[in-house]
Amino acid sequence: MKALILTGGAGRNLVPFSSTRPKAMTVVAGGSLMRRTLSHLREVGVTDVTVVIGQHGEKVTETFKDGHEIGLNLAYVEQQRPGGIADAILRARTRFIPGEYFILVYGDVVTSANPFHQALQSFNSFKAPIAGVCLPGPPTTRYGNVYLDGTRITRIVEKPTTTGLGNYVLAGVFVLPVEVFALVEKSSRDMEQVFAQLMRAPGLHASIWEEGWIDVEYPWDILAANRMVMDTWEEAQISRHAVIDGNVTFTGPVRIERGSVIKAGAVLAGPCYIGRNCYVGNNVLVRSYSSLGAASSIGYGVELKNCVLFGNSKIGRLSFVGDSVIGDNVDIGSGTMTINENMDHTPVAVSVRGEPVNSGLVKLGGFIGDDVKVGAGNTLAAGTVLPPGTSVPHHATVSRR
Amino acid sequence: MCGISGVASFHPIGDRLYEGVRHLEYRGYDSCGIAFVNDHHIEVRKDIGTVDEVDSKVHIRALTALVGIAHTRWATHGKVTRENAHPHQACHGEFAVVHNGIIANYKALREELQKIGHRFRSDTDTEIIAHLLEQRFKESGDIERAWVSALRALEGSYALAMITIHDPERIFCARHESPLIIGVGSESNYVGSDFNAFIDYTKSTVILEDGEYGIVSKDSYCVKSLRTGEVVDKDITIVPWDSELSRKGGYPHYMLKEIHEQPQAVRSALSISDDEIAAVADMMAAARRVHLLGVGTTYYVALLGQYLLASLADLDVPAVSSDEFRHLDKSDRESLVLAISQSGETYDTVMSLRHAKERGAKTAAIVNVMGSSIARMVDRVILQGSGPEVCVVSTKAALVQMILLARLALELGARRGALSAATRRAHEAALAALPGQIETILNEKSGLIRAAAYRHAHVQNWLFLGRGIYYPIALEAALKMKEVTYVHAEGMPGGFLKHGTLSLVDDKLYTLVFLPPPAAGELHAATMSSVEEVKARGGFVFGFTFDGADNIFDDRLVLAPAPDVTAPFLPLVCAQLLAYFTATALKRNVDKPRSLAKSVTVA
Repeated sequence: MKALILTGGAGRNLVPFSSTRPKAMTVVAGGSLMRRTLSHLREVGVTDVTVVIGQHGEKVTETFKDGHEIGLNLAYVEQQRPGGIADAILRARTRFIPGEYFILVYGDVVTSANPFHQALQSFNSFKAPIAGVCLPGPPTTRYGNVYLDGTRITRIVEKPTTTGLGNYVLAGVFVLPVEVFALVEKSSRDMEQVFAQLMRAPGLHASIWEEGWIDVEYPWDILAANRMVMDTWEEAQISRHAVIDGNVTFTGPVRIERGSVIKAGAVLAGPCYIGRNCYVGNNVLVRSYSSLGAASSIGYGVELKNCVLFGNSKIGRLSFVGDSVIGDNVDIGSGTMTINENMDHTPVAVSVRGEPVNSGLVKLGGFIGDDVKVGAGNTLAAGTVLPPGTSVPHHATVSRR
Repeated sequence: MCGISGVASFHPIGDRLYEGVRHLEYRGYDSCGIAFVNDHHIEVRKDIGTVDEVDSKVHIRALTALVGIAHTRWATHGKVTRENAHPHQACHGEFAVVHNGIIANYKALREELQKIGHRFRSDTDTEIIAHLLEQRFKESGDIERAWVSALRALEGSYALAMITIHDPERIFCARHESPLIIGVGSESNYVGSDFNAFIDYTKSTVILEDGEYGIVSKDSYCVKSLRTGEVVDKDITIVPWDSELSRKGGYPHYMLKEIHEQPQAVRSALSISDDEIAAVADMMAAARRVHLLGVGTTYYVALLGQYLLASLADLDVPAVSSDEFRHLDKSDRESLVLAISQSGETYDTVMSLRHAKERGAKTAAIVNVMGSSIARMVDRVILQGSGPEVCVVSTKAALVQMILLARLALELGARRGALSAATRRAHEAALAALPGQIETILNEKSGLIRAAAYRHAHVQNWLFLGRGIYYPIALEAALKMKEVTYVHAEGMPGGFLKHGTLSLVDDKLYTLVFLPPPAAGELHAATMSSVEEVKARGGFVFGFTFDGADNIFDDRLVLAPAPDVTAPFLPLVCAQLLAYFTATALKRNVDKPRSLAKSVTVA
């Protein structure tokens, strides 16, 4: 079976990270969402994958190229302007052969285990269109509500009110007949109508997903997804090509990739991830749920806690980075503090598209875009967002932007 | 209790033997093994673990043999070890036996056989059967004669399947107080503990009775009486279940599937003909004394039935747990025992029914599995028709049993003048509306219940409180929680609190309260006073309530208003979901909780 991944959405709520990459290229637990999706597809025997790319699509194509390296045949279709899911699907029409079924997956979804096993198992028992459904963590009106009769989907309410907060929602994983392209076209690119048509005939079956599921919409969702994936790790994995000094302490599932250097006195509490060719200086404390992308450099005496560094970043000595996400190629000067809570322990608000949005999280630090430089001795308020390329001088105190 | 499967065929049997025993895993899953005839000797492959785990080690599916037997074990005699896994062989490897049940006189037989030189490899009661066969074959030189003579020496319960090198194309099987059936296919015949062993391949079955044995080959089968040795003429029963139904479909677990099947299962229960209900009601009306019997979940179902019969039919029908019934049984010719069992094989219930029958009592039963022991041994049975229930934790079968008891109560209430025709119609309309209300809960409350389950997954001790008919609901809900999450939950009537349990209440003990609708008046007020008692001691109270105005809880789930007669079933469905989601939050083995098996066919 072939697969179609949609990554063309603009992801405006995921600023500052979506300003320079598609959502699917954000990183959790040491790998991009895209890499996870692709390896899950490969695990269930998919070989041909079409990826719809939009803005910053080159981040996808340059990373995965023709897919040879990860054992897949990848083809790309461009969606120049964001035109919604229906538009994205139609663009890939010519890649699929009528009469077959294909897997459709949204690129911004993270699951704690491979969702395609179950979707295909459901498909094999029903031999009919399948939509993965799940119950999102805390009830929310963010997603369309699904109504079930057994596993048959009878109704999808696109804009739910607060009364239907307990419903199953579409999980962004489908097994659909290629005929669906014609339906999309006929229904003037309205997915609601497409699903309604499928429900009438031949029927749309739910495949209920009970493992972890996160749709990465807001920047703090990256931290939740990172945590969810790391919670599935059960053992430590340390590359034989990592260089580890004496007097380094590991506890729990610590993962260290080849070429990394861990200096004496460092303490690493799993689950945590140290990517390829990282440098972790003397007396660094890496607390659980920290993920360091490749070629990160952590100076002497730094404390990291529940944070994701995409990679190629430097954190100067004696800094604290907690409950924060750091983009690619960021340079944080020594002695920088992220503040990760409000004085009154109320949930931290984050500015999203100019509006403060309540994250619901009491502990939350900052979100620092690609290529940012933060001078030494700075203090970043809880909920800080620094757009890509920002330069903060030494000794400045930054309030929310 | 264990699962047995066997295949004799013109074609390689590896896949079918594997699938057969895998579909029986709910009967036991601590070790598994197979035996088959391979070039004039018998080969046994077995190990500890689930069928999949054992298959990955010893490659069951790759078999090219044409005759074989398989077994999935739930330990009773002897620890979970490779040696104790079935099949068992005798000294010279000429016989291989799989067994479900308990051989009561195995110690005596073992000593006897040891004296004449038999060497035992395992601690199981089963191994003696293989040695006994070997011994009797040595004496008689005839396989069937040896088989019969060995069976006659056994005391206790057994379902057996055996292959031997001296008759390599046939499977010998027998049953006594443990279930065994034969599947009749084309170019293949099967043996199994129940339909699931071969439902993918044939729906035609022959059900063995106690004291019968069968001989099955690829193109024929026959059933004989152990006592007379004569051929017994058996009817073929066609299994109505679709194999598709007994698979998970789009669900992650059978438990969730079966919870979601409840609207349909209740609809089927409501469509069972009035005559069937009336026939059992006739028996209840004619008897001077009636007991409701069940054990575990079905005891709570029986207890709920007691409340329903008291409130709707003005009848006093005590519920008794069937593991204790024999100690209390004073039944006579004017007594009726109404038993409730999903599998129809529940050992304690079978024994209680047998006991009551010996005393001359009439018997009736509500059973899900057609052709099961209980369905066949009682004077009158209502088959609940809920379809296969695979998850060890019973949900839909229990709910349907409650609905059938409600129908019985309405029928008797009307006859006895306890219910006016109008009231009965109103209650029946309420029952008819129940499937829709359950659907609404499944669709609109699942996410809220899941979120609550994750919020409270850390809780170590739960008190489940209810009063009146909500008391058996609380008991049943607490059992669901215990079974599937391994978290302690204690069901209790609200009135019990101040007679002892209140001393347990602190901020770590969480209480789930089943509140009746406000229309229940006094019952509602009394339950609220229990809530106050817990709250006053700093306890955390989670309320399942029908009234948004009940807002003294620390956490709550508000359900849409429902009529009195059906209201208790709605929070039960919510509690099933709470147990399920708590189990997934705690990463439990939902469909096969540790130490439990689906139908308890041993004492």
